[in-house]
Amino acid sequence: MATTATDEELVKRAQADDERAFGELVTRYESKVYSLAMKMLRNPEDAEDVLQDTFLRAYRGIKSFKGNSTFSTWIYRITANSALMRLRKKQLPQVSIEDSDEREAPISIADWAPGPAEQLLNQEMQKTMDEAIDALPPEFRQVFILRDVEELSNADVAEILDLSVAAVKSRLHRARIKVRNRLAQYFSETKTNRATGAKAS
Amino acid sequence: MMTCREVLDSISNFIDADTKKEVAEEMHKHIHICSECRAQFDSLTMTIKLYRHVENPSMPAGCHDRLVKVLELERMNPKASGAPKSEND
Repeated sequence: MATTATDEELVKRAQADDERAFGELVTRYESKVYSLAMKMLRNPEDAEDVLQDTFLRAYRGIKSFKGNSTFSTWIYRITANSALMRLRKKQLPQVSIEDSDEREAPISIADWAPGPAEQLLNQEMQKTMDEAIDALPPEFRQVFILRDVEELSNADVAEILDLSVAAVKSRLHRARIKVRNRLAQYFSETKTNRATGAKAS
Repeated sequence: MMTCREVLDSISNFIDADTKKEVAEEMHKHIHICSECRAQFDSLTMTIKLYRHVENPSMPAGCHDRLVKVLELERMNPKASGAPKSEND
């Protein structure tokens, strides 16, 4: 049964071998951990592996958890690291000093209509958004998801990933440009296809 | 007056309202008169909005039970699970 105990209280009890307290922490965080893993890996089996890996690490490490960060930050850090290891194994694109897809190409904003909410109803658009995430190097993907999808602060992301806030901002900026360029390409092609279709008919 | 390069370098911080007041004012002015930087600003803002609408994936059926089993196995016999090392905070 869910309790109203704080995370801190549950951690203390779990450190004193209270299995139910650890179970409560699992119940409290499992869906958040799974959701973050799924957003980073976009594969249900991999996300479940990360979920199990994360809580096993937490279970083994709970006694040495000193409370230097919150439990929430700690569990997100374990999740992000576990997911990163899996992404690296998949040999995804690596971060280079400057990629051509990070340059601010001229954007035709007229291509972006209709607005974001309407676009989300479009399955093809969803696919493009997923592909834009897939194309990000793992280190950029982590920052982009934690910051722009999970909506954590720069300071929280920095703590989770053990980076400086300046490094988070730099990676976030580069990730946003890459993702935006991918979407811009999609919008431009969609517009061209619409125009060609209209001409043909 | 800020140059386009300066505006583009700070555009992410500007979107996050994470620039000094005087820089933000300069950027507002620049974006108002420069259509190329405005398109960069608008498209990046829309990109972020799109991803903020993404729904949280939910755990599949049985996922919780499998996790509980893995943790139970670890509790009963720490060497049996082949689990990873622990993490310090």
